[in-house]
Amino acid sequence: MATVEMVGISKSFGSSVALEDFTVRIRSGELVCLLGPSGCGKTTALRILAGLEKADGGRVAVEGLDISGDPPERRRFGMVFQDYSLFPNMTARQNIEFGLKVQKKDAAVRRSIVDRMIDITRLQAHADKYPHQMSGGQRQRVALARAIATAPRVLLLDEPLSALDAQVRETLRDEIRRLQLEIGVTTVFVTHDQHEALAIADRVGVMSNGRLEQLAAPRELYERPANSFVASFIGTVNQLPARALQSDRWQVLNRTVVGNEAGTAGVEGVVAVRPEHIALDRSDTGPWTIESTSFLGPMTRLVVTQPGHQPLLVDLASVEAAAFPVGRRAQVRLRDDVGQVTVITLAPLASRKSS
Amino acid sequence: MTIEDVAARRGVALSTGGTRHARWRSVRPASVVKSAFIGMVALYFIVPMLAMARFAFQNVPMALLTPEKLFDGWSFSGLWTALSDPGIISATKTSVLLVAFAIALNLALLLPLAIITEVHNPRLRPVLSAVTLLPWVIPPIALVVGVAATFRAAVPWFLASDFSLVPFYALWAMPFTYRALDAGLQAINARTLYEAARTMGASLTTIIVRVIIPNIGAAIAAASALTAAMVLGEFAFASLLLKTTLPTEMVNYQRGDPRGGLALALIVMILTALALGLVVRSLRRRGLTVQTAGI
Repeated sequence: MATVEMVGISKSFGSSVALEDFTVRIRSGELVCLLGPSGCGKTTALRILAGLEKADGGRVAVEGLDISGDPPERRRFGMVFQDYSLFPNMTARQNIEFGLKVQKKDAAVRRSIVDRMIDITRLQAHADKYPHQMSGGQRQRVALARAIATAPRVLLLDEPLSALDAQVRETLRDEIRRLQLEIGVTTVFVTHDQHEALAIADRVGVMSNGRLEQLAAPRELYERPANSFVASFIGTVNQLPARALQSDRWQVLNRTVVGNEAGTAGVEGVVAVRPEHIALDRSDTGPWTIESTSFLGPMTRLVVTQPGHQPLLVDLASVEAAAFPVGRRAQVRLRDDVGQVTVITLAPLASRKSS
Repeated sequence: MTIEDVAARRGVALSTGGTRHARWRSVRPASVVKSAFIGMVALYFIVPMLAMARFAFQNVPMALLTPEKLFDGWSFSGLWTALSDPGIISATKTSVLLVAFAIALNLALLLPLAIITEVHNPRLRPVLSAVTLLPWVIPPIALVVGVAATFRAAVPWFLASDFSLVPFYALWAMPFTYRALDAGLQAINARTLYEAARTMGASLTTIIVRVIIPNIGAAIAAASALTAAMVLGEFAFASLLLKTTLPTEMVNYQRGDPRGGLALALIVMILTALALGLVVRSLRRRGLTVQTAGI
């Protein structure tokens, strides 16, 4: 268990900037996901942490000790790669044992550690198989066991689930979290899949263009995104016109709520509102019309329109949505439990369009 | 898509329940052209070999060969005589040793180079790929004359030995060897294996010996087989440096006994082809395709 710090890291590949003044502080035993679109620098950040890439500037520290100059073999980290990268000439057991052999541990010690790893990753039936005889999910479990067998100070996971199919991905995701909590290792998990990140992370760091946009617990990230990038990257948002009132108050639809930024009183701006934060009221004279509905199981997503306005996405519990068939007219309002919204722009929507 | 469509696309006529429609569609002009072309290429290779075999093993002059005599006078005696010729035996020994040394030298030079380039400096791969092609750009005569002039002055004893051919052969086989090894390294994703092993604390030597080499056995076998085939057929260097190897001795022997010489040539060719075939088969058994081994 160890705290990890990356401070002011910068890295360029030729003329393209991968990381710019990237800073993240990870607590001991925490699972942090670095999340972002491809090319945002998340994998570069992880590789710099592992020592596989050299940063142009900044420093990496574990437990407060600067390790920026250490090669990967001296860092005592464990790493899991997207393409498993198991050694094809070794069985699952031998793969897991490799790092322990490098550490020159006794045969008896190695055996007991490997047995324990096989147990906790539930690989008993596959221990003596070669990688090509195993499924993707099994291989990645071997890779995970191999990475934690050496009791690393930090566990690094580089898109470990991307090559797997949906069902395996979800099971293994939960398994990684269970294991991580069990052994309490500080973990950095890189992914482009927000569901993955939100589901297992203690905190999620959203990245774009080589910068960390926000580092926060999943719930906070979703409910109080720090800026418009995070708001639109995590989940789905509607862009609604809103009128700035005094200080940080905004008038959105029927209600007055707090925005993360203050506007000039009386000037219209645009705020982000989640589809599930909008409610519909049946009203034969209402200005909005239900244009389409998609049934998603427990929820139903409705598209509602009004001439001269952008279409709105509204998520209702499916039982509730039954009252709003296509063609029905309705009134929209902000749900009562919404306290804060994220301001996307301080200028009105119309002027944005024309500019 | 119906089953017939699938079959027609693959150019297969359905054996059961195939409608006339499907059969008609399965014979496409493209496949006819393809078969004709493959047939022509096969004839181009097979006819001379059959002619060679007839001359080597059937002691009936072509002028006297009539359909009734097609099976007369076949014998392997020419081959046995050739195989027991002391000159041929000693040249074979020399060539086998040359094969072994050429493979050893070639791998000793290129294996570490290819691995370190791939894991440390992948950007140098194209450069290495171009450099390893150079031996084929320089004609053997230029290479030999240049090297001979230099070495004769500096280390005269070097060119006196039969094994002075080894560096030439190692150099000459470099394009094959490097490509085979490089393809092998690409196929196993050597770079990530290296990175994974490093994060576990392994040193470069440990990684090369315990992780990379065991996984490119197929590529090493392919590189060696290609080097062997090349050395067993190489004539120009040996002849220019006045060495007696199997190919030069075969030419020599053929002057006195054309039939025996040709029989020998045919056998060497078949054995080399079989050896290459065996390598390919053993790779397939281990789940490796020929492509991944670079041949």
